[in-house]
Amino acid sequence: MTSVLIAGLGDVGVRTARQLLDTPGIDHVYVAARSQKHADTVASALHDGATPWELSHHDPVFPDGVDAIASALPPHDDLTLAQAALRAGISFASASDDANELNALVGLDADARAAGLRVLVGCGLAPGLSDVLARHAAGALDAVDEIHVARWGVAGETCAESARRAHRDPGLEWRDGAYVHDRHQGPELVWFPDPVGARECALVASGVELLVTANPGLERATVRLGGPAPRVGVRRALTPPPRRDPGASWGAVRAEAWGQRGDTRETVVYGVIEQTAVATGTVLGVAAAALAGGMPDVTTPTLGAHGLGTAVNALPFLAELARRGVKAAAFEGATIA
Amino acid sequence: MKAFQRGLLVAAIAVAVSAVVRVRGKGHVPPATGGWRELQGPDFR
Repeated sequence: MTSVLIAGLGDVGVRTARQLLDTPGIDHVYVAARSQKHADTVASALHDGATPWELSHHDPVFPDGVDAIASALPPHDDLTLAQAALRAGISFASASDDANELNALVGLDADARAAGLRVLVGCGLAPGLSDVLARHAAGALDAVDEIHVARWGVAGETCAESARRAHRDPGLEWRDGAYVHDRHQGPELVWFPDPVGARECALVASGVELLVTANPGLERATVRLGGPAPRVGVRRALTPPPRRDPGASWGAVRAEAWGQRGDTRETVVYGVIEQTAVATGTVLGVAAAALAGGMPDVTTPTLGAHGLGTAVNALPFLAELARRGVKAAAFEGATIA
Repeated sequence: MKAFQRGLLVAAIAVAVSAVVRVRGKGHVPPATGGWRELQGPDFR
């Protein structure tokens, strides 16, 4: 009997639960929140036999027989939960995109290896799906030297706050074998698939190290993040529908790899658009299902703490996402410089 | 009067420089051709 527990029942957590309930091979799903009442409400809304579970802040206890935990908790809550999971002998997947928390979770690598477990770090849009797209793009080239990924969109108010914090902190760039903090680079236009289109995205630190670890030999790597400006409700309500931004409610990621194919320098670009919470919940759900043993060909058997770019096989992972409606697209054409 | 003439001269130089930059400048958004194609079954093999 394969069981997965989802911690955190916000926009992403509920979608993750939905994905896991629809996954063949996952027999039981626990939905866990800080409040028993909220867990009860979500479990009854899902209609599919999810079991509610109350998760305490300081000393979390898990039900017997759980094979994997998928965390969609707010930033800074994941580390305690991951440590408790490892102590309980359970593999762990996190959707956090907070740079400090990502580093802390990767720091559990030795503990996870010693326990014979896996910790999947950054199972969201970026980091997460963007790393898998980047690996897939890099695989299409003979040698890759630059990777640039970007994300547009946030999944909820907690995610929006996390994005604002990422923009306040100095951006991080991997340049010629060293991490460079750059406070002075302004946002750049990044082209995503329609209806998101061209959006301004600024350099951030979260996920750069995962990208570099997953793609050895890079000379440059950047992660950019953008999102809709917070707008006052009255102003939004007064904007007539034809003038509203059609891409504001969407989430998108783009991964661009530069390198050599044969004798020529080429670029491979992949992108995805979907409702942000749906895409993130799907990525986290598939990652957790793979951790629990429900999809043996999706993950690599490597123990320890890794980002998705290292821990999953790109093609089966993207195929599984496409089967669930989160479809990647390739940019075909050329930029004429 | 002298200040006015200087102002006119500066304005004339500014117009001349901007005209040269507009006509001979190479700064532009690189045109892109192509579009997005959804990955299908064969792309995942």
